[in-house]
Amino acid sequence: MATLANRLRLSSFSEMLNTSRHRRENFYGYLFLMPWLLGFLGLFLGPGLFSLYLSFTKYDVLSPPTWIGLDNYTKMFFDDPLFYTSLGRTFYYAGVGVPIGVIGSMFLAILLNAKLRGLAAYRTLFFMPSLVPIVASVVLWKWLLHADFGIINQWLVDLGWSDPPGWFGDRRWAIPSLIVMGLWQGLGGTRMIIFLAGLQGIPESLYEAASIDGATPLHKLRHVTIPLLTPTIFFNMVLGVIGGLQVFTAAFVATEGGPGFATTFYSLHLYRHAFDYWNMGYAATLAWLFAFVIVSLTIWQLRLSRRWVFYYGS
Amino acid sequence: MAATIERLPSTELRGDVYRRRRNRVQMGITYILLTVAALMFAFPLFWTVSSSLQTWKELRSFEPHLLPAIPQWGNYVKVFSAVPFARWMGNSFLITAITIPGVIITGSLTAYSFARFNYVGKEIWFVLMLGTMMIPTQVTLIPQYVLFFNLKLINTYVPLTIGSWLGGGAFMIFLLRQFIMSIPRDLDEAALMDGASPIRILWGVLLPLMKPALTTVAILQFLGDWNEFFGPFIYLNRVDLFTAAVGLRFFQNIPMETSDPRDHLLMAAAAVMTIPVITLFAAAQRYFIQGVVLSGLKI
Repeated sequence: MATLANRLRLSSFSEMLNTSRHRRENFYGYLFLMPWLLGFLGLFLGPGLFSLYLSFTKYDVLSPPTWIGLDNYTKMFFDDPLFYTSLGRTFYYAGVGVPIGVIGSMFLAILLNAKLRGLAAYRTLFFMPSLVPIVASVVLWKWLLHADFGIINQWLVDLGWSDPPGWFGDRRWAIPSLIVMGLWQGLGGTRMIIFLAGLQGIPESLYEAASIDGATPLHKLRHVTIPLLTPTIFFNMVLGVIGGLQVFTAAFVATEGGPGFATTFYSLHLYRHAFDYWNMGYAATLAWLFAFVIVSLTIWQLRLSRRWVFYYGS
Repeated sequence: MAATIERLPSTELRGDVYRRRRNRVQMGITYILLTVAALMFAFPLFWTVSSSLQTWKELRSFEPHLLPAIPQWGNYVKVFSAVPFARWMGNSFLITAITIPGVIITGSLTAYSFARFNYVGKEIWFVLMLGTMMIPTQVTLIPQYVLFFNLKLINTYVPLTIGSWLGGGAFMIFLLRQFIMSIPRDLDEAALMDGASPIRILWGVLLPLMKPALTTVAILQFLGDWNEFFGPFIYLNRVDLFTAAVGLRFFQNIPMETSDPRDHLLMAAAAVMTIPVITLFAAAQRYFIQGVVLSGLKI
């Protein structure tokens, strides 16, 4: 056993080692962090705070911003009908598209997870649409869903629907058209792969136990697969909502927010104020509210998840 | 499956026949569902190619043609003469040639920092980094635009590529960090004992082992840039600087009156724009899936 003096000496020695090690860790840690840190401060935090400042100003880029207090906020809440309608349409798009997309991806993954021959080919095929660039996909879908010459409407007419929808050109059908296109691109993409990874994490023993108890495939789906996939469902829901609410390119390229304002989603509304009317101050206000909405929704989903997400083994 | 069934005691044989039949029905249903889904996914792809090979008159007839009477391969030539599509594709490639080395170099450095060093404030920076994924791009968009506008960088590729040289974004860094964490520290320690500097360890020890992760990151970066519309759209307003995505929309939006009919050419352009991505996928399929594996999503 070491004497007190020895211990002291040892500890001070190790402390010295520690501090030199500490210094080294701090130095190299920050040195290598530098590229990201610069980007974070210069392209994210700085601009984010500047945007908060801009939200209290009137600013058109060419002349300096002028402080107008809460005017942008009162305008947003009380004097901009498009604020509410665009937010509503965005919720409609994400609220319908995301759950269908997540559940659809899950079922595709469950089908692909069966131990059958030739499934790799199906997986590849399902994945392909997610590779098509959005703009190319819009060009394609505008043609598929063309009111007069689109093959889908021609089929619908053949099936006896004499007055098929005008899809992108019809106020009521424009958002469903975008949802259909989004599903085609999204169902078999990365989300499906994430579900496949989730399925592979379910212990085989649970299925064996269920079989011994005489469970049918539907029972197994209902009582083993889906409960054990709830963390994956939750993860994909959160990501899907964050992405779905920010929908821009598809709507902008397909319809420019029309017909009428039928596809003027929140991000298009924001874009118009920023880059068509050069109301940068007001656009910044819209952006900050948007961030607030998305972050609150994410936190709400996290809270809610405690009620339905099941973590196996915990 | 079959092997285990044969090994079962004879008393259960009856149940087996039943079970085997049920399995076959189940298999049949699975295949039918998969095939229906496959047709729904594949048809639009087939339709792109087929439409791109038809004449405009064939496309605009009330009797749909599933296949062109005579494949119009010339459509693919006309795309390149109707609009500077080759130039736009070249611009897109140029952007990816700038961003991919950026994300590989600076993304690895950042990931190395997060994975291997203990320093004051690391946890906070890490949480903040992950938090950036939640904030919509619109929040930083306007000030960034103002910044690049004042720096006279509109109509350059700087706004589109600088991020990749500053870490490359939270998701990429996270993937690389996860990968580095899975490499045993003993390797670093051994190199450290031999007197290697930290940068030497990254370069000589870790990077060679990170090739799968780096390939994945490079592919994700390529896909992201190739697909990206909004950034190029607001930062580039000279036609000769357009990327393929912005160019395709430009082609689509040329007013009818000032242009020849072009639905068939648009389809050809859409197909051309998709070819590099599909080629990449065919060549490196497994890396497309690796992103999911790398992120450690066992959920």
